[in-house]
Amino acid sequence: MTDVLGNALNLDFALLAPEIIIGLTALAIMFLDLFKQELKVGDRALPLLSVLGLLAAGAVSLFFVNQVDDFSRLIQVDNFTTFFRILFIGTTILVIVGSHEYVEKHVNHIGEFYALLLLSTVGAIYMAAARDLLTAYLAIEVLSFSLYVAVSLAKNDPRSGEAVLKYVLLGGVASAMLLYGLSLVYGVAGSTQYTEIATALAASDGSMDMALALGLVLIIGGLGFKASAVPFHMWTPDVYEGAPIPVTAYLSATSKAATFALILRWFAGPLYPVADEWRWAMATLAVATMVVGNLIALQQSNLKRLLAYSSIAQVGYMLMAITGLSSDTASALLVHLGGYLLTNLVVFIGVIHFYNRTGKEGIADLKGLAETNPYLALVLTAGLFSLAGMPLLVGFFTKFILFQAVVEADYLWLVVIGVIASTISLYYYLVVIKQMYLYEPEGDTSRWRISPTGYLTTGSLLGAVVVLGIWGTPLFRASHEAALALFAGV
Amino acid sequence: MFDRLPLPSQFDRTIVAGGTVAGLAGGPILVVLLGLMIAGTISVAEMVFYLAAAVVLAGALGAVLIKNIVHASLALIATLLGVAGIYLLLLTEFLALVQILVYGGGVIILLLFALMMTNAQDDPIVQDGTQKPFAFGVAALIGGVFIAALLDAQWGSPTAAVVPFRDFGMRLFRDFSVPVIIVAILLDIAFTGAFVNARRAEAEDGEGRS
Amino acid sequence: MIPIENFLVLAALLFAIGFYGVLARRSAILILMSVELMLAAVAINFIAFATYMDHDAFSGLIFALFVITVAAAEVGLALGVVLRLFRERRTANVDAANSLKW
Repeated sequence: MTDVLGNALNLDFALLAPEIIIGLTALAIMFLDLFKQELKVGDRALPLLSVLGLLAAGAVSLFFVNQVDDFSRLIQVDNFTTFFRILFIGTTILVIVGSHEYVEKHVNHIGEFYALLLLSTVGAIYMAAARDLLTAYLAIEVLSFSLYVAVSLAKNDPRSGEAVLKYVLLGGVASAMLLYGLSLVYGVAGSTQYTEIATALAASDGSMDMALALGLVLIIGGLGFKASAVPFHMWTPDVYEGAPIPVTAYLSATSKAATFALILRWFAGPLYPVADEWRWAMATLAVATMVVGNLIALQQSNLKRLLAYSSIAQVGYMLMAITGLSSDTASALLVHLGGYLLTNLVVFIGVIHFYNRTGKEGIADLKGLAETNPYLALVLTAGLFSLAGMPLLVGFFTKFILFQAVVEADYLWLVVIGVIASTISLYYYLVVIKQMYLYEPEGDTSRWRISPTGYLTTGSLLGAVVVLGIWGTPLFRASHEAALALFAGV
Repeated sequence: MFDRLPLPSQFDRTIVAGGTVAGLAGGPILVVLLGLMIAGTISVAEMVFYLAAAVVLAGALGAVLIKNIVHASLALIATLLGVAGIYLLLLTEFLALVQILVYGGGVIILLLFALMMTNAQDDPIVQDGTQKPFAFGVAALIGGVFIAALLDAQWGSPTAAVVPFRDFGMRLFRDFSVPVIIVAILLDIAFTGAFVNARRAEAEDGEGRS
Repeated sequence: MIPIENFLVLAALLFAIGFYGVLARRSAILILMSVELMLAAVAINFIAFATYMDHDAFSGLIFALFVITVAAAEVGLALGVVLRLFRERRTANVDAANSLKW
C-alpha cells in the first residue's frame, strides 16, 4: 500500500494493539455501567475491569521492546513509545486501585469516570508515539478533553463546574495558539511529518526565519499551558482544587509526563535543527516557573493548591533539561519523570485516603496524623521528602542526575537557580510534615486504618521510592534506551 | 418557543442602523474595488477576495464588540460564512461545504440554544470586562507582530492547485487512518462531557427554569 | 491569482480580533465565540499553505478538516459546562464564577 506521494505505508494494526485493548475496555466499561442492574454486578466490577484491561495492554506493549516500526507514517513504535506506554498504563492502574473508594463516594457518573481515564491514557500514549503533527495534535486534544470532563465529575462540589469552565476556555485559547504555531511550521517546512520537517528545517536558507520564530514561540506558549509553566499556569491551582482528587493526581502525573513526552518528540526531532531559536525561550520559562512556583507555594493553606504549585515548580526543573536538550539530558529527564511520577502518586494516594476518612483537605487538618495514623503519616512524609529531593529517596537520585546532566550541557547558571529553588521548596514541604508530627490531633483522636487496596498501592509505591532511591539502575537503563530511540531518527 | 428569542424589541432599530452603516461604508468600498478591477489593477478573484475579507473582518469585529449577545452571535454567522467563501477562493469546495454544514448547521444552533437557555432571554446586553484598553493593546501587538513576521518571510510566488475530491478521500481515510480513529474517540469524549454536564443532576430536580 | 500573503494577513487579523474578544469579553459564550474566530484563522492558514505550497500532499487540508471537527466538539462540551454553571449560579459570566481565585 502506498500513499498519494508513493511512499510505502505499513498498515499493521498489531502495532496499535495496546491502545486498541484499552479503547475496547473503555467501551466495555460504559456498557457494563449501563446494564449494571441487569447483570447484577457490584460497584467494584468497573475498576476491576479497567485494571484487567490495562494490565493486558501493558503486557502486550512489552512485546515491542527493542522493536522499531511505524504505523502508516503516523505512529512511531520504538523504545521511547514503549517506555511511556508502560509509564502511563502503570500510572492509571495505580490511580484506579488507589482511589476506587473515593470514586464511589465523591464522583458522579462512575462508569464514565473510568472510561475517561482509560481513553485519556490512549491520548497520552499517542502524544508520546506520534510522528506526524496531526496525530500529535489530536492526541493532545483527546487527553485535554477527557481531563475537562473528568474535572467536572466531582459530586456536590460547587468548585468543580467553575474549575472546568476556566479549564475549557483557557485550554481552547492555548490550543488555538499551539495550532497557529503548527500552521506556521507546516507552512515553512511544507509537511506535517516529523522526519520531513526536520529535513526541511535543516536545509532552510533562513528566508522564513521570522515566521518560524513566531511559530516556535506560539508552540512553546501552547505547550507551556498544557504543562502549566509560568506564565501560562493560572488555570492550574483552580483546576487542581476543583477536580476530584484522583483526577488531580492524574493531572499532575500523566498529563504532565505526556506533555513532556511530546515536547521531547518535537524538540528532539522536527524542531532540533533550529535549536538555537528556542533554547532561550525554554530557559526563560524554566527560570520563571521554578522561581514563581516555589514562591507562591509558600503561601498556600489548601493541600491540593500546595501540591499544584509544587508540581508547577517541578515543571521548571524539567524545562531545564529541555533547555540543554541532548541525548544525555533527555535520558536524565526521562529518569526524573519516572521518579516524579512515583513520588507524586505516593503523595496523592496518601491524600486521597486521608480525605476518605476525614473529608478535609486543608494543611492544618493534617494535625496529629502521626498519632491517629502513623503509617499514612510515614507515607506522606516519604513522598514529600522525595519531592523535595532528600537523599535515599528516588526524588534525590533523579534530581541529582537531572541537575548533573544540565550542568554538563553548559547551563550551570540554570542549575544554580534550580538548587536555590529546591531549597526553598524544602520549607513548605516541612510545614506539612510539621503539622503531622509536632501537633496533637484535634477532635477525633482514635486510631484508624486505610483500606487494603490503600495499603497495597501506597506500600508498593513506598517500596519503589525507597528501592529506586538507593539502586536506580533499572530506571536509568530504561530511560537511556528510550532516549537513544528518541535520537535515533535525527 | 420563538417568543422567547429576544429579537423583536430591538430588532428593527438595530437592523436599520446596521444596514445604514454597512451601506455607507460598503458602498464606496465596492465602487473603489469595481473601479480598480475595471482599470485592471486587481483581478476579479482579488476583488472577490477583498469583499469576502471585508465580510469576515466586519463580522469578527461585530462578534467581539457588539454588546447585545444575540446580535454578536449573528455577526459571527457572517464571519463563518465569509470564511467559507475564503475556502472557496482557496479552491477547496469540500472544506467550504464542511464549514457551512458544521458551523451554520451545528455550532450556531448550539450557541443560540445556549443563549436561550441562559439569561440572554431576559437581558441580552452584556457588560464587558474593565481591561478593554489592555486587551486592545495586546491584540494590536499580536496582529502587528504576526503580520510583520508573515510579510517578512519570502514565500516565493507559489501557485495554487485544485485537489481532486477522490484524492482527498483517499488521503483522509487511507493515509490518515489513525487521526480518523482518534477523532472518533474525541467526539465520544466530548459527547459524554456535554451530556454529564448539561443533564440536570437528580438531586437538584426542582431547580432551574422549565 | 491571489497572492498567498493576502490570506495569511487576513488570518492574522482574524486571530488578533479573536484574542481581543477573549481578553475583553466576560460572558463565557462570547469568549467561546472568540475562540472560534481564532480557530477559523488557523484553518485559513492551514488551507492557504496546503493549496499554495503543498498541493501534492495537501496534509494541511486534512489538518483543517480536523481543526473544524475539534472546534465544533469543543463548543458542544463548553456549552454543556456553561449550562451547568448557569443552573448552579444563575449567570453565564466568568467573573461571577469567583469562589476560586481567578
